[in-house]
Amino acid sequence: MIPTHYFLILSALLFTIGVCGVLTRKNGITIFMSIELMVNAVNLTFLAYARQFHQVHGLIFVFFIMAIAAAEAAVGLAIFISLFHHRDTIDVDEANLMHW
Amino acid sequence: MEFAIFFLFAAVAVIFALVVVLHRNPVVGALSLVASFFALAVMYVLLEAPFLAALQVIVYAGAIMVLFLFVIMLLNLQHVAEPVTRPVQQFLGYTTSAFFGIGLVYYLSKYAVFNALPEGPFHADARTIGIKLFESYVFPFEMVSILLLAAIVGALTLSAKSVGRPGASESGAEAR
Repeated sequence: MIPTHYFLILSALLFTIGVCGVLTRKNGITIFMSIELMVNAVNLTFLAYARQFHQVHGLIFVFFIMAIAAAEAAVGLAIFISLFHHRDTIDVDEANLMHW
Repeated sequence: MEFAIFFLFAAVAVIFALVVVLHRNPVVGALSLVASFFALAVMYVLLEAPFLAALQVIVYAGAIMVLFLFVIMLLNLQHVAEPVTRPVQQFLGYTTSAFFGIGLVYYLSKYAVFNALPEGPFHADARTIGIKLFESYVFPFEMVSILLLAAIVGALTLSAKSVGRPGASESGAEAR
């Protein structure tokens, strides 16, 4: 039986990689994929704690997070398609319509 | 044996996640993310949640990542190079995330170490989840269905705006 903190540390590593991608990349779709990576790291944490405390609630939360991530991906990619139609790029530096 | 599987697939997940963040080509990034999600599904099986592992493969690696790949290929982004601008901000991003990760791993290994799992088997199969979902979580379940409907309508209106209307693309071209 693998201890819970192994999974927690793996989840922390994946979350950190996702944070690094969001902070350093400029391609909008890559930033979006990094966000998906962070969501999955949190899912792993939920499942690890669900097994540690024998609670089904963590599994239900992962179920809902997956559904909401699907909705988020659909809307976010639609925003990028719209941005690409208007600006011919998905570089997030170019999306400066509301820039001060 | 279990530990060998864990470390193998943990390495696969972390390496492919690094490819997602570091590779210049978004198509390679999306395919690496699919591989990383498969490795995470193995983690879910190790955590005794086979139903959610199946959902991870079907919903994430199957549906969401195919949507990503469709959009990447629709926008024809393969040859768009990412110019290196703002080096200071990029350096700050790398250092901040490195410190964040080091702190997170340090505090997890110091304070979140559990010695023993509780006794008895943990049933996390589809039957248990389904009963719980339709007993205590019926209202959030219905809310998620409405949210998905709203997301469909929102995605359609957002992405079809410049395609559906005949005059929209010309005005967009003039604005450029």
